[in-house]
Amino acid sequence: MPIIKTTQVTKVYNPDTIPVHALAGVDLEIEAGEFTAIVGPSGSGKTTLLNIIGGLDQPTSGSIEVGGQDISKFSDSEMIDFRQKNIGFVFQAYNLIPVLTAEENVEFVMLLQKRSKAERQARVKELLESVGIADKWDKRPNQLSGGQQQRVAVARALASKPTFVLADEPTANLDSKSTANLLDIMARLNQEEGITFVFSTHDQRVIDRARRVVTLVDGQVDTDVYK
Amino acid sequence: MVVIASIAVGSWAVIFMSSFSNGLVSSYIERAIQHEFSHLQFHHPGFLKDKEIEFTLEDADVLLQEIKADDKVAAAAVRSLSNAMLASAKVARGILVKGIDPEDEAALTGLDKLVVEGDYLNTKKKNTILISKKIAEKLQVKIRSKVVLTFQDFESEIVAGAFRVAGIFETDNNRFDVANCFIRRKDMNKLLGAPIKINAAPVLTEAPAKMEPANTAHEIAVYLKDHEDIAGITTAFQGKYPALKVQNYKELSPDVELMESQIEISSIIFMVIVMLALVFGIINTMLMAVLERYKELGVLMAIGMGKGKVFVMIVLETLMLALVAAPIGLAIGYLSVKFFEDKGIDLSAFSAGMREFGMSEIVYPNIESTLYVQLTIAVAITALLASLYPAWKAVRLKPIEAIRKI
Ligand SMILES: Nc1ncnc2c1ncn2[C@@H]1O[C@H](COP(=O)(O)OP(=O)(O)OP(=O)(O)O)[C@@H](O)[C@H]1O
Ligand SMILES: [Mg+2]
Repeated sequence: MPIIKTTQVTKVYNPDTIPVHALAGVDLEIEAGEFTAIVGPSGSGKTTLLNIIGGLDQPTSGSIEVGGQDISKFSDSEMIDFRQKNIGFVFQAYNLIPVLTAEENVEFVMLLQKRSKAERQARVKELLESVGIADKWDKRPNQLSGGQQQRVAVARALASKPTFVLADEPTANLDSKSTANLLDIMARLNQEEGITFVFSTHDQRVIDRARRVVTLVDGQVDTDVYK
Repeated sequence: MVVIASIAVGSWAVIFMSSFSNGLVSSYIERAIQHEFSHLQFHHPGFLKDKEIEFTLEDADVLLQEIKADDKVAAAAVRSLSNAMLASAKVARGILVKGIDPEDEAALTGLDKLVVEGDYLNTKKKNTILISKKIAEKLQVKIRSKVVLTFQDFESEIVAGAFRVAGIFETDNNRFDVANCFIRRKDMNKLLGAPIKINAAPVLTEAPAKMEPANTAHEIAVYLKDHEDIAGITTAFQGKYPALKVQNYKELSPDVELMESQIEISSIIFMVIVMLALVFGIINTMLMAVLERYKELGVLMAIGMGKGKVFVMIVLETLMLALVAAPIGLAIGYLSVKFFEDKGIDLSAFSAGMREFGMSEIVYPNIESTLYVQLTIAVAITALLASLYPAWKAVRLKPIEAIRKI
């Protein structure tokens, strides 16, 4: 059974004024353990699709099943709960909490989940090590480079042991060295720990690393290639 | 920071303004009691209705000794009272003449200390008068000038006596100054009881008033050692002297009573006004804070922070600010009250206006310590209320919209 299954998902922005058909019937299945890139020209609907899969937005029509659960009818608070338990987000602009240190940023979701202190500490340490910035644990975001911040963001996304990680253009703000480094980390986490990654990108070097490439054009799946 | 500063300044303002108005009003009250009303006054019940001089206190001097012997009483004095015309060579005006025993009066009201020119009435010379500076100016008289007092005596005859101005007094209260003058009770009683005929009235055949003139008095004023339980003491004296009317200063001067009851109300009103201002200040800044952190809050909600938690977070943040700020304001307020408590705040620049209302020139701020507690609670409640709207705003934000804004 796929962990994500979208059926005829559409999204119309501004239905009452100037309607924008961002998604026009997307059918997509993603299995556990995939390392999938969503690509396509600007405005093709990548962000919209990821937001809907991530429960940040609701589709105009169609259904999204995550782990067999239809999330398209969830209330706001059910959505929040769902996101906390199932999804790790990596944002293009990192979006770490500026007043918290790297360690605290990673720990935060586990606080929401009321994990024990010992468990939190052990996991934070493990995660920061696996993204290679254990030595920067006490730094705040503004003391870290973009690449380092994005690695903290990946660690944060994994802290809640999510079903999958969604990343909307995670490398768009990074230089090529940091991009390569981040992708190494993501690929290793995917291979060694079986973590599912779904990310959007424009970057050919990132696309080259993906094992499946879904191309959107005008809000529809154009090609779907496994490598 | 803006919130902290405004809460601190607001708390300080409440403390300082309340202590200031407190000081102002309580000095007014103290002075009114000191110079004008004392704590208690005893009269013949009829006198209060008519102010006719025949309503005297019987055996006033015996009564005075009795009252002075009471252990609650700090000082007491008897007075003869009569309305009169006070005339100089040029001007005449109506006035209340108080016939006093200079020593007792000095002990009771400290009248001797209010003399700004000339002497108090404790000289051996007969028929001397103490008038206020205001009256002296109006009558265009000086020390040792001659003035004439014209009364109705016990027989309802008009009597007049010539008095020499011995001294000029001044209180902080213009109203009191223009309405009162002082002569010795002995002189007054002689005049009232032994009339000097002015108009050609028929010769008296009967003996005049039945009381000894020298013993006549209309009023006994009492200063208590402790007036905490003024109402109880009043009732006790009233019970002891049922034939007399015993009144305390609250009954004698409704405006003193009013001011006394208003001290607390006014500081509460002032507090409410400041808190209202703070509510808007806090709402404004916290809304700004929420907007500033729109994205951050959006991220928190995106990664699964519940609405309740976000709400509580904003409320707690606001409360924290208030709890940091309020003590600062209270401390500054406390220090500034302490600083001026003994020194006083000199308002002599405005004192002409202040005198019209019987206010003193130097205000000694003072404060009830309960105000600090009330204020802390008020600030906490204010912060709590003011945080609700920003918190509600924060909860309503949509994570994708917040995150989209880069
Ligand atoms: N909030 C919105 N309101 C109205 N239209 C929107 C909104 N968000 C996206 N759109 C429109 O929907 C379409 C799809 O946008 P989307 O952001 O999903 O594309 P994208 O593939 O992520 O593009 P890019 O590569 O530039 O990030 C675009 O035409 C966009 O203008
Ligand atoms: Mg996009």
